[in-house]
Amino acid sequence: MTQIDLTTPVGTTVALLPEVALGLAVLVVLVVVSWRHERRDDSRLAGWLAIASLLLSGLALAWLWGHSPDEPGLGQMVALDSFRYVSSGLLLALSAGSVLVSMGYLERERLVAPEYYVLLLLAVIGMLFMVNAQDLIVLFLGLETMSISVYVLAGFDRGSTFSAEAALKYFLIGAFASGFLLYGIALVFGAAGSTNLYVVGAQFGQGNLSLMGKLGLGFLIIGFGFKVAAVPFQMWAPDVYDGAPTPVTGFMATAVKAAAFTAFARVLFSGFQASAVEWRPVLFVVATASMALGNLAALVQKNLKRMLAYSSVAHAGYLLAALVPGSSLGISAMTFYLLGYGITSLAAFALVGALGRHGERDLTLADVAGLAQARPWMAAGLALCMLSLLGFPGTIGFMGKWYILSALVVSRHAALAVIVVLASLVSAGYYLPVITAMYMRPARAPLVYHDRQLPGTARVAVAISVALVLVLGVWPSLALSQSDRAAASLPQSIDTAAGQ
Amino acid sequence: MNSFLASVGYSRWILDTLLILPLVGVLPIVLAPPARARSIALWVTLAELIVSLGLWWGFDAGATGMQFVVTAPWMPQWGINYTVGVDGISLVMVLLTTAIMPLAVLSSFKYIGEREKLYYGFLLVLLTGMLGVFLALDMFLFYVFWEVMLIPMYFIIGIWGGRNRFYAAIKFFIYTMAGSLLMLVAILVMMFQASKTSGTPSFAYDTFLAASPHLGTLAPWLFGAFAIAFAIKVPMFPFHTWLPDAHVEAPTAGSVLLASILLKMGTYGFLRFAVPFFPGVALSPVVTGLVVASAVIGIIYGALVAMVQPDVKKLVAYSSVSHLGFVMLGIWAATLQSVQGALMIMIGHGLSTGSLFLLIGMLYERRHTRDLASFGGLARVIPIFSLVLVVTALASIGLPGLNGFVGEFLVLLGSFARHPWATGIAATGVIFAAVYLLWALQRLIFNPLDKSENAHLPDLDVRELWVVLPLVAGMVWLGLYPQPVLDRMDSAAKRYVELAQPGFERPSTPAASPDSEQAR
Repeated sequence: MTQIDLTTPVGTTVALLPEVALGLAVLVVLVVVSWRHERRDDSRLAGWLAIASLLLSGLALAWLWGHSPDEPGLGQMVALDSFRYVSSGLLLALSAGSVLVSMGYLERERLVAPEYYVLLLLAVIGMLFMVNAQDLIVLFLGLETMSISVYVLAGFDRGSTFSAEAALKYFLIGAFASGFLLYGIALVFGAAGSTNLYVVGAQFGQGNLSLMGKLGLGFLIIGFGFKVAAVPFQMWAPDVYDGAPTPVTGFMATAVKAAAFTAFARVLFSGFQASAVEWRPVLFVVATASMALGNLAALVQKNLKRMLAYSSVAHAGYLLAALVPGSSLGISAMTFYLLGYGITSLAAFALVGALGRHGERDLTLADVAGLAQARPWMAAGLALCMLSLLGFPGTIGFMGKWYILSALVVSRHAALAVIVVLASLVSAGYYLPVITAMYMRPARAPLVYHDRQLPGTARVAVAISVALVLVLGVWPSLALSQSDRAAASLPQSIDTAAGQ
Repeated sequence: MNSFLASVGYSRWILDTLLILPLVGVLPIVLAPPARARSIALWVTLAELIVSLGLWWGFDAGATGMQFVVTAPWMPQWGINYTVGVDGISLVMVLLTTAIMPLAVLSSFKYIGEREKLYYGFLLVLLTGMLGVFLALDMFLFYVFWEVMLIPMYFIIGIWGGRNRFYAAIKFFIYTMAGSLLMLVAILVMMFQASKTSGTPSFAYDTFLAASPHLGTLAPWLFGAFAIAFAIKVPMFPFHTWLPDAHVEAPTAGSVLLASILLKMGTYGFLRFAVPFFPGVALSPVVTGLVVASAVIGIIYGALVAMVQPDVKKLVAYSSVSHLGFVMLGIWAATLQSVQGALMIMIGHGLSTGSLFLLIGMLYERRHTRDLASFGGLARVIPIFSLVLVVTALASIGLPGLNGFVGEFLVLLGSFARHPWATGIAATGVIFAAVYLLWALQRLIFNPLDKSENAHLPDLDVRELWVVLPLVAGMVWLGLYPQPVLDRMDSAAKRYVELAQPGFERPSTPAASPDSEQAR
């Protein structure tokens, strides 16, 4: 344990070691792909290089985690706390999973362009900055780096008009959201005299949020609301999720969402923990609306990918519900839920990608009928993912929901807890039919699944994810200690005395 | 017998073994060729039965409280432990489950012709889930088993069920889940309330019981959440609509397990959790009025609807609604006799209705119809089948000397002092039961043999006799000499009656029997 002096260039570099390592690695990958970018093998090479880069960054993260003190609320631009490390680790793992899923998919869809991986890695750098930002400007830079890369990734299938539509829609709405966010940052700066979250938190420490500060907070919530696709800022999500290549959709639903939620939680807790009275009712309404609209809209979808898109809106609602109490327990629940939702969605989108063709825009329930008999392992994997998303005991999805419910009940938000379980009940109406189709209905024709297989690398990612869904669903203690540590490193809200 | 059980350390490993053995049994089913799956499942369930029989002798009928308790930490930071144990009530339910299970497997040998590995695998998982519900003494553990059991049953109905199976499977799943999700929130709220006094979170059953008098105004809400979950499962009128669909569409073994075991989980939930936790609310005049009225309506309505069913399987399904109404009446009267009677009906209904579903399944395998109108005169063609059917039907009606009589008599006797009017009306349900079952018997086996398809049906073969004769033996035994069963249930029933007194002082520390294992 050595103190890292963030006032010196060396100290700052050390504090940003995972980001710096990944940045350098991206440059290497970029150079490599500019020479080799024509053949199938080149794409595969870039993929493996991307995995290596993420691994390198992960090692740097592990080193930093082991060697830096856990200092909550350090008044610097970059946080050195467990919340950052845990979230960064989660993001790196989900991104590595996305790379593994992408490798076979891109070859199958003839999207051989190794720049894909460069963009993906750039997005990861942006995410890492989002979760380490103690300063709203750093946060914004990270968010933009991530967003611009993901805009391009969403339109990566150049032959498809839907992919182009997704990219354009995502870009326009994203620009809009960034505008809100930036405006919010400006207003907060005007009210608090600083963009540093620590200073902002100290400035509003008595709950004395000025009107300008309130406006700033409101704009920040709107900006993040767009990014996490919460109602009423969700309208872009279905089209974008639907049109983008499926591994990109998976990446957006897991890593991008996790990064946005983590950054959002830090902003609320570091900057506005004393003003919980102001943002709690807003989040309550947004969370309830997201759960209601996301679940009801998912109920009437015919297309699986679109159904998962709406279900991701609903899950944004559950995650927001975890933030409502403003308690450390809620943050821990959110972090754990992000892990659960992340690995489950990663596997679910990978399987959907393997089952469909040409962007999977027309993969309906009828297209997975009888899958259990032709491809028992794929069917079992997808069934487990559906149960985990539903929140069924024995899966990580249940432990995540259980944790959110405990956080709500402990902080006397039993009404919201009831809303969460009722929303889960509605979600059974669209998760179960997938299982019904796969296991109980006959296949449309024999041999319809003969070429529907998970590519080798995706198989590894899905196998690990599904195994984790089960193992952490039965022994969540393995991951709970980390999410608890992460949550404990954030400044505590005033009214969290109740509970554990 | 007891010294032998003690010498092998039975009380330490018995309950764990009962829960793990079926799951271990899934492994050879996965690895073996499909044709071997059914025999593996049969051996596993028979082994389970033999292991569980030790409970019958090892159980100390004189002691109060839980026995064979085993505890191990599971998620210590949340106060969640793996805790299992049995008292008189769970003992009989566990033995009923392990006894029915091999018969359910054996009855599926011919009926299930495809995807056998999946089928028998799910049956074994279901066995663990059902036993877990009866054994769990940690509320989290109980909830997990309560829900996990849904999945295998959902698949069993949905894959091997009848024509309308998708609808029935999803309806079954969503109805049960709707109730239990609210119970989940109630469990969390109760845990939070309990931890406020004790300081540490704990989901232990005894902690909940000790905390229950201090819930104040929350109690009605919490009781409501528990009660709806259990009422759907029982099912009580008007939450019963999932039952005919699920029963009729499920394959024979599925219907048997639904009727014999799964429905009992609802009444078990009332006996173990809902009433002892909230006696003040549960036995308040308003709630008592509602429950007793709903029980009596269930008795009469179930019987009347059963009377007009053309489909014999649906007839038996509705008769369950009627029988379970008696159980609810007995539970709510909360006298020693009525509770003992309710438990006897729970066992007796498990045997007789299970047997009825098995016999209907056998008939369906022969004729591929369950329409009462297409039968008649079977007594001459298949006399053994007809004899077994008559005995089972008489047991279900409640003929003295067979099991149904003991339970219904005790319930009516025990409830009369508390609810004379309701008991009086309920007693007419016994007459209706005789009407619909005897009428069905007449149309099935007695009327003239006027359909040529029925003229050459084969009688029960050896396997089928093995399926039904143990049940018939059980019915006769319970009808003639129920005393050993009543003895074992006695202290648990007394304890329930004590707990159901609103003023009863709850122990602040768990009352453990001297020979129970507190930790391992």
